[in-house]
Amino acid sequence: MKITVYGSSLSAWVAAACLAKVGNDVVIDEMAGGSERELNDISVIRDEPGLWSQIQRQIEERRLTRRLQQTTTAADIHWLSLQPTEQALAERVIDDIQLTGEKGVLIINQCNFTVGATEALQSRLSNANDVVFIPDNLQEGLALKGFTQPKHIILGIDNDKALAKTKALLRPFKSELDFLQLMSSREAEFTKYAITGMLAIRLGYINELANLADALGVDISVVQDGMGADPRIGHHYLSPGCGFGGQNFAAYVTKFSGILQKERQQSLLKTVMEENEVQKELLFRKLWQHYQGDLDGKVVALWGASFKPGTASIDNAPSLKIIDALISQNIRVQVHDPEALVNLRAIYKANALISYAESPLAAAEGADALLLVTEWPMYWSPDYPRLASLMRTRLIIDGRNIFDSDLMAQHGFTYLGVGRH
Amino acid sequence: MNSIDAWVSLQCHAEEMKDVHLKDLFHPGEERFEALSISEDHYLLDVSKQRINSETLEKLMDLAHQQELDGWIEKLFSGEKVNASEQRAALHTALRQPDNIELHVDGQDITTGVHRSLNKMQELVEQIQCAQWRGFEGSPIRSVVNIGVGGSNLGPLMACDALEQYAPAELRHLDVHFVSSMDGSELEKLLPGLDPATTLFIISSKSFSTVDTLANANTAREWLLKASNKSVELINQHHFIAATANPARALEWGVPMKNQLLLWDWVGGRYSLWSVIGMPIALKIGMKNFREILKGAHAMDAHFREAPFEKNMPVLLGLVGVWNINFLNIHAHAILPYDGRMAQLPAYLEQLEMESNGKSINREGERISFRTCPVLWGQVGSSAQHAFYQLLHQGTEPVMCDFIATAMRYESEGDELREQHQLSLANCLAQSRLLAMGDSSQAKNESVSNYKHYDGNQPSTTIMLDVLTPETFGGLIAMYEHKVFVQSVIWGVNPFDQWGVEQGKQMATNLLKELCNSGNDNLDASTNGIIRFVQDQNKGASK
Repeated sequence: MKITVYGSSLSAWVAAACLAKVGNDVVIDEMAGGSERELNDISVIRDEPGLWSQIQRQIEERRLTRRLQQTTTAADIHWLSLQPTEQALAERVIDDIQLTGEKGVLIINQCNFTVGATEALQSRLSNANDVVFIPDNLQEGLALKGFTQPKHIILGIDNDKALAKTKALLRPFKSELDFLQLMSSREAEFTKYAITGMLAIRLGYINELANLADALGVDISVVQDGMGADPRIGHHYLSPGCGFGGQNFAAYVTKFSGILQKERQQSLLKTVMEENEVQKELLFRKLWQHYQGDLDGKVVALWGASFKPGTASIDNAPSLKIIDALISQNIRVQVHDPEALVNLRAIYKANALISYAESPLAAAEGADALLLVTEWPMYWSPDYPRLASLMRTRLIIDGRNIFDSDLMAQHGFTYLGVGRH
Repeated sequence: MNSIDAWVSLQCHAEEMKDVHLKDLFHPGEERFEALSISEDHYLLDVSKQRINSETLEKLMDLAHQQELDGWIEKLFSGEKVNASEQRAALHTALRQPDNIELHVDGQDITTGVHRSLNKMQELVEQIQCAQWRGFEGSPIRSVVNIGVGGSNLGPLMACDALEQYAPAELRHLDVHFVSSMDGSELEKLLPGLDPATTLFIISSKSFSTVDTLANANTAREWLLKASNKSVELINQHHFIAATANPARALEWGVPMKNQLLLWDWVGGRYSLWSVIGMPIALKIGMKNFREILKGAHAMDAHFREAPFEKNMPVLLGLVGVWNINFLNIHAHAILPYDGRMAQLPAYLEQLEMESNGKSINREGERISFRTCPVLWGQVGSSAQHAFYQLLHQGTEPVMCDFIATAMRYESEGDELREQHQLSLANCLAQSRLLAMGDSSQAKNESVSNYKHYDGNQPSTTIMLDVLTPETFGGLIAMYEHKVFVQSVIWGVNPFDQWGVEQGKQMATNLLKELCNSGNDNLDASTNGIIRFVQDQNKGASK
């Protein structure tokens, strides 16, 4: 099939690469995202494991083309992967399709605009063409697998005749599929938001519990295991930490919280998002309290800057809030991350207070505290004696609870976790 | 002074004018308004509803010249010791001077110091605003409480109230509060709603010895210490800023030097909102807007210093006041802003005018034989209409009024609010017109009974701003400051001291002991009697 993908987000590139890989003839129109840039310079591609090589191969094998100028080309399927704020762009694309006078075109809307947006797009088209909503369940770091081997798919379809064509489009990706659910586009849009919001609320809640555990001298990891064993709750999204981030997750939740507030004036999600911003500074607060606010001349090591392991993305990452807080106190920061340093440099440029370390141990050299921000696998089992000898003060503040506090004590570290007093 | 020609000439002229009704001064046509109003920059000053004519103005200008007003203006601006009783300059005008204008006084480079202090304030303000000033838990500060009284309270409070709409969206997370009363009433109400970990106090006191302020500051610190369980040093470091001219005393109280913002003894308390005392304003509306206030005031300074007296707004405002007070015997002055944003203006001007010119001794230390500052009070005009306007229209007291309003408001709001502004303006105009003309402005109805009759002939000035902005706000306040100075020069008094507020403070210190003792033969019977009552009540309660 001939498919045009619109957008320059990670979702757009993943869709384009995966759809091309299974034999479709795909054009990607990067819209305002610009097509001048080299693939190497596009951070969402660079940051997602496996994506760059996949795109490169599809381009070489001529199944994927980057459209240079905005021209509408005939396609059977138009795939919209625009940012939540770009509804006007989507409307323009739809209007252009309508102008070509083509019939029987399928438009897949994967954008998180708002509840009812797919209907609104459909209303700009004649009945000969259909818009279908497929929620974007992309998980950064696992995006390719998530697209090609989904376990469940939700289709928001308002018109039966679109179903056959949509199923044909998704047929190559059915190998792991347990569950395909049909619902109206409005319901599917709502479901997408509801899932994201639910996950955020779980994280917000466990973080709140962890902070309380800190104050009450209770170990949250024990509580966490107890909660997770209850089948009504389960273990997913139940690890406390120093706040969640990411381009999509935070943007969706914020958007949904906005919709809720418009309808109901207040929203649980708004509180969750505000508290998450506070949580991102948790490690800084622990450092501050440990040193009683006297941080003059201190050196602090950061392990991890990306918003989660497996990605170079630092969008909405806790590391940014922590670094901002540290440099505002005139603290020297030595940061290590296996992938995200390029992105971090782009933000902090040549700030004299920040140095970018080549190895975790190099970051810890002479430090008065080590803050573990992102739980990259390489940090889980450091050379403790070496680490202890390198640091000026043996203080570890673990934002992801990856270390064992007894082991830390044996090596002479003062250890502070999240909710592990 | 009564022997001065211009004064005598004005007295004679007043004899002619005293029986002339205001309504009879208006003739068909626009000439009176043209002759008796100044429209300059963002401002319109209309004194045509005053009981004056062009001859009055000429004579008032003569008086100003005879009193060497122009010389005094130069003394004020150049930093001469115009505050003779305290042997210091009064350089509030230097506080709003751009940094490229040099001013040296006694070999001191004033401008550099002023801007150094402002820049330090900007640093602290920005640190708080970008949520990087940390409280004892390491959380960013969200609430700032200004502890100050008099000039350290009224000016910042008024400005924050008036200019709230200019708070940039990114600063709206920050609450700014004011406490001043020595009995702790405001703190008692405020503290339960605040989170100690995210609350910062500004102790705003030029002398750092004001009892009211230190009492509140001590209560605030106790609250923080109890809530935090931290050392007093840590609390002082992270929860207190001082705006003061007495760094040593602030340090002794516990505010570290890095948290201190400096002003100087040549800034009078009631003239200090332009200095670091204005920090709450900068926190509320941003440093950029704070500098706009300074800019507006500086423009008014330049106008006051350079415009000929006939076209000089503060001069005209001041001289018309002198005419009313000294020649028409009007001793009450109502301040009536027709704009809810300026609700605090009357309280501010009460201090500015009455503390400055409420004097009966001249610069030479002699008792003077004429009236000076009148009793001044006021309220938002539309509310005052339902309160004391009855007295203005039908009472026995002659009262001069200042109507203050803005021509434009709510440009980006809906029709409803714009209509409310129009309604308010219509009321402003109706009241000043009725006060001036009486019911002669209405169609005659012979059968009206006496109690429905309006005499009119109450003079008023109308001050219009095009729009209320930080800049025009600064200009308006500077206009009043200079008006006060003009009157002080005519009366020959020093507007920059306030010896009349000192003795009460000392007496209170002594009486504090007496409240615990059983009275004292040296006290008067009334005071002793009241002390006994208080003691009896407390004994009763403790039984």
